[in-house]
Amino acid sequence: MKEVIFAGLGGQGVLTIGLIMAEIANHRGDNTTWVPSYGSAMRGGMANCTVKYGKEIIYNPAQEACDILLAMHEQALSFFEEKMNSGGIIVYNSDIISKDKIRRTDVQCIGVPCASLAEKIGNPRGANIIMTGMLLKASGDFTEEEGLAGMNAMFAKKGKTKFEAQNSIAFKTGYDFPGN
Amino acid sequence: MAKSAKVPTIIDKPMGFCPGCGHGIAIRLIAECLETLGYDSNVIFGIGVGCSSLLGGGLQTDRLHCPHGRASAVCTAFKRVMPETMVIAYQGDGDAYSIGLSQTTNAMYRNEKFTLFVINNTLYGMTGGQMSSTTMPGQKTSTSPLGRDCGATGLPMRFPEMVASQFNAAYVARGTVINPAHINKLKGYIINALEAQKYNEGYSIVEILAPCPTNWGMTPVNAMAHIQETLIPYYPLGEFKTREKK
Amino acid sequence: MAEIMKGNHAIAEAAVRAGVTFYAGYPITPSSEIMEYLSGRLPELGRVFIQAESEVAGITMVMGAAACGVRALTASSGPGISLKQEGISCISDEELSCVVINVARYGNGLGTLFSSQCDYLRETRGGGNGDYRCIVLCPESVQEAVDLMALAYELSEKYRIVSTLLTEGALGQMMEPCVLPEFIDPPKVSWGFDGKYSYKKVGIFDRNPYQEGIDLRKKHECIKENEQRFETIDVEDADYVFVAYGLPARSVKGAIKELQAEGHKVGLIRLITAWPFPEKAFSVVNSHVKGFISVEASATGQVVEDVALYSKKSGFGHVPAYCLLNIYGIPAIRDTKENFKKIIAGEIKEVF
Repeated sequence: MKEVIFAGLGGQGVLTIGLIMAEIANHRGDNTTWVPSYGSAMRGGMANCTVKYGKEIIYNPAQEACDILLAMHEQALSFFEEKMNSGGIIVYNSDIISKDKIRRTDVQCIGVPCASLAEKIGNPRGANIIMTGMLLKASGDFTEEEGLAGMNAMFAKKGKTKFEAQNSIAFKTGYDFPGN
Repeated sequence: MAKSAKVPTIIDKPMGFCPGCGHGIAIRLIAECLETLGYDSNVIFGIGVGCSSLLGGGLQTDRLHCPHGRASAVCTAFKRVMPETMVIAYQGDGDAYSIGLSQTTNAMYRNEKFTLFVINNTLYGMTGGQMSSTTMPGQKTSTSPLGRDCGATGLPMRFPEMVASQFNAAYVARGTVINPAHINKLKGYIINALEAQKYNEGYSIVEILAPCPTNWGMTPVNAMAHIQETLIPYYPLGEFKTREKK
Repeated sequence: MAEIMKGNHAIAEAAVRAGVTFYAGYPITPSSEIMEYLSGRLPELGRVFIQAESEVAGITMVMGAAACGVRALTASSGPGISLKQEGISCISDEELSCVVINVARYGNGLGTLFSSQCDYLRETRGGGNGDYRCIVLCPESVQEAVDLMALAYELSEKYRIVSTLLTEGALGQMMEPCVLPEFIDPPKVSWGFDGKYSYKKVGIFDRNPYQEGIDLRKKHECIKENEQRFETIDVEDADYVFVAYGLPARSVKGAIKELQAEGHKVGLIRLITAWPFPEKAFSVVNSHVKGFISVEASATGQVVEDVALYSKKSGFGHVPAYCLLNIYGIPAIRDTKENFKKIIAGEIKEVF
């Protein structure tokens, strides 16, 4: 069972990235849970969510110590990196976070310029999906096909099939980004 | 020659009101009107807390004793669940206008399609004659022993006027029970209020000025005179909102 | 395949499928998604949804609908449930049937938005004025929450008592896969109004409160005897038995698994009904048990009082009852393990 924390500022889409990952895990038959931070953080400010997935029973759906951290903003990084398991992975938004801000030395760090990459593929709203692709690859737990199938099934369920081609390109851009 | 109508079949036993109380006449009129309109076996009452509660012992109809002041919320649900059934909230002034002001006002704000009858006797009768929001200026009650000081406690509330001017109600009137002429007029108001509900026109309310000889410390006859001389000038009778002609 | 659903949405849809035809309530975090969901869903099915002007009006409308014999629902949290107590007491007095959902949040007064179990004592003791209890069902997962919804109504109608679905903020807000129950057509109850006075009601001035009290006691005893629901894990040979409900109970299961792997003999009693309290679970506990440990998301310790009372009743009066208080949120597995070790080392003292 893996624990992933998705953290950033409100509006950066971290709750959605977490949800896509949970949907992908569910789609391939894993157990999974998604728990948002809410309350005072509901409007603006920091936002985060915790996703757990795996074949095992998920006892505690809440944060314990994460194996993977997605940091979309510097504040989110500094708050959550202390809560990571040794040997974990930090995937960070290198468009706005510089690598020297990471204090932990016992974790693997992968910077992804997700907004720039999104611009480059002509899908400026695709930064979240690029990050999702990268996270899934970095976890080592999902094939590209599993990721695409789960993500597209999720959007189909919401009746949003018309962006499928675009989303798939964004996902692959993240999954195949070097640095893995 | 005066004619007396037979007792409506839904009234099955005496209700325990004080001598000279106005509730009995009001209930009798409501029961007669229900029978006239053919709704005496298709009606639910939401009964208030106070002297209005005594209605519950004497009517053979579906009825629920509502939490104090909440009859309009209960009747909202009755009508939404059973739209073909006549739904009546029966309350006193303290119940409907003081503790229940929020529920009463919001039901008419939503224009819920039931009918509210408020027996206004200018005080809390059941609990021993305390001041209510309709107590007259200077009126002595058990909680205004020196007479109501409106500077400190507010002016008596004219609720039907507020409804008629501010809300989208179907029918609003005020009547009284002090003599046969007024009783006949009141019966017309009650029929109109129930018909407004029957034809799904919207919310209807009739306030009924009623004597409380016990708590006013008056004989029944003097209590009737008090309504004529003191209450009616402040609480004018009549229709404040009439039904739209279809 | 199980669909990922948000707890509050899944609960709302389960209510629709359990035959709820009337919802009235007032928005309050973290329960609002229940009413948001039903505000579209119920009218779509020709059922009734009302956004009430207040919590008080919401529960009172539920009372009116319940009197008409339909399955009526309201949901709220913390201070909202406080305001509903007048109505819950009146519904109990009239012996009507309905379900109230408490998506519990932490704190006194207005409180906070943190997930919590701080309403345990209020929910299990009736809550309003008078002499009654509500049947309290407390799920540990989104799946269990949707599975308990129809049961909440069945029990409520069987005993003419209010059922409370006691969830927590985190359960309402979290998402996990669940399989929704099938649609059911609820049976007609005998006491619903039909406008024709078919159900003969005793007027308030003709009631006999003494006889009613005797009947009420019998009813409550009958529920206590027949409706305890719980889950036990390895209590038969445990040295220490944890007692918990809801999401903390689920987390404790993880701690138990790890503690057992380290050689500790620990077990769990998980409450599914908080009232009636599952005292029968204590009858299978190891007679040489060394302690009961309540794990709960409150600051003052509430469940532990029942743990002490019922362990005493089951012949464990001499066995210490400990309490691990998480205040709010879900206790981390590692914290429960650490605290357990402090208990066996004598560093955490018993409460009772």
